[in-house]
Amino acid sequence: MSVRPLIKNPPVVIRASDVSKRFVIRKDKSLKERIVNFGRSQKHKDDFWALRDVDLEILAGTSVGLVGANGSGKSTLLKVIGGIIQPNGGTVERRGRLAALLELGAGFHPDLTGRENVYLNASILGLSRGETDEYFDSIVDFSEIGDFIDTQVKFYSSGMYVRLAFAIAVHVDPDVLLVDEVLAVGDEPFQRKCMDKIREFQDDGRTIVFVSHSAGQIEELCDRVVVLSHGQVVFDGGTDDGIAALRRSFSDR
Amino acid sequence: MSSNAQERADRLATLPFQKSASAGRANVVEAVRELFQHRELLGLLVRRELKSRYKDSSLGFLWSLIRPLTMLLIYYVAIGQFLGAARGIPDFAIFVFAGLTIWGLYAEIVTGGTLSIVGNAGLIKKVYLPREIFPLAATGSALFNFAIQLVVLVGATVVLGQFPVSWNLLYLPVAIAIVLVWGVGLGILLSALNVFLRDVQYLVEVALLILFWASPIVYSWSYVVNAAVLADLPWLPAVYLLNPISNAVIAFQKGIWLAGSEIRMIDGVEIPPQPWPDDLNMRLFIMFVVGVVFLVICQRVFQRLQGNFAQEI
Repeated sequence: MSVRPLIKNPPVVIRASDVSKRFVIRKDKSLKERIVNFGRSQKHKDDFWALRDVDLEILAGTSVGLVGANGSGKSTLLKVIGGIIQPNGGTVERRGRLAALLELGAGFHPDLTGRENVYLNASILGLSRGETDEYFDSIVDFSEIGDFIDTQVKFYSSGMYVRLAFAIAVHVDPDVLLVDEVLAVGDEPFQRKCMDKIREFQDDGRTIVFVSHSAGQIEELCDRVVVLSHGQVVFDGGTDDGIAALRRSFSDR
Repeated sequence: MSSNAQERADRLATLPFQKSASAGRANVVEAVRELFQHRELLGLLVRRELKSRYKDSSLGFLWSLIRPLTMLLIYYVAIGQFLGAARGIPDFAIFVFAGLTIWGLYAEIVTGGTLSIVGNAGLIKKVYLPREIFPLAATGSALFNFAIQLVVLVGATVVLGQFPVSWNLLYLPVAIAIVLVWGVGLGILLSALNVFLRDVQYLVEVALLILFWASPIVYSWSYVVNAAVLADLPWLPAVYLLNPISNAVIAFQKGIWLAGSEIRMIDGVEIPPQPWPDDLNMRLFIMFVVGVVFLVICQRVFQRLQGNFAQEI
């Protein structure tokens, strides 16, 4: 565990109360299927609770790992916090600038050049044009893309693609960063660079919420672990106990 | 470093809590404000759409002109000459191109808008943005293509000596405004419905085809009036004009098509001016106001549906 700067009276930055999310999965998509199945539609619907009455408060400056087995609702919770999905019940409140690294390069358009994509993606993540101008060189430096910045991104290798995307994301200057399984990008030196950047973020007192399957990464980066199982919080506490609780939740399945 | 962190924490402590983004927009004003904050992104999305469309083609933007010009040629030859519409409609080429231009704006906003949410699934599932921005970006790129066509249209009227120097020109912005409110409203509404029912996008294609022929684009308004008299259907023009886009097309033609408001001679036959609807100004005003209400309703429906976009796409 890394050493975190001490913050006096850290404020709450994310407060989720009673959050529930129900998914309804319809098996028929076209109009014809719906008409044919009309009246028997219950049979063609599945619903399950991805989140059930989740309460969570996250303090400024902490790094929280959301863990759990596949389908436990951790990614859903992250999306609810990010505002991408609206919960069926309960509320999520938050403050400060929030950026989500849910999937790197989600906003890239293959036909545009790296430069155009930097401006587009930075704008999607909430940077103004002026700010992007200011950070542009630093973004290109960090990504190690060099002269390829004016090439269409469809010609990029997958490594170049994610490196550029990560470089943009870390320049957004968020107060709260949501990270979903994206830290294992690029070659080893670049991964180290990413980890260093995350540490720098932590030293700056930024709040980070990780979703990860890697116990090692959680152990290394987080100071609090929340274990989800079947949409409910089953453990909330320190890292070591959290990982033990995660292992237990696997065997419960 | 540590003082940095403390500063950040102190600043955060003073900020009020906000409801999570997509739940926080209780009314239209909030939505508009949020969209206004993202205007830079809107501009970039419009540019992305335009740039990527003709990216690797050597003619590039010319293609967005070639299509309407080809349609003009087809209608001019097939309907104007072979079927003889040009014998009853003076300056037939200007007339058809005016109709095609304003119709093209409407059709492109609606089709582009309908596909916009599903087409940007990657972004919608990953990042929170005010989602109306995608149909609006489609509208922006439609407006750009429209502007190019409008330049060609106005250029043609100038070259042919038919540029209308009159107050009728004021009908152009009015027609565009009506097309925008109705087109954007439909685009927003259909983009949301298309997420849940993909049939919508095919339905739109068919509906636009019908609406194209139900608007006075390749035949003039006088033909509708005459048909109503001949067939003894006095209610026909009134029903025909219920369609806001028909009104907008007529207004656009009245604005830019000089020959429609004058007495012209074709092959020795005198063609009277178009029997423009008497209450056109009032109609346009009502169509615009109703269109704004429609747009607001569409945004409310969109707002209700968008909470489930990320999981339904």
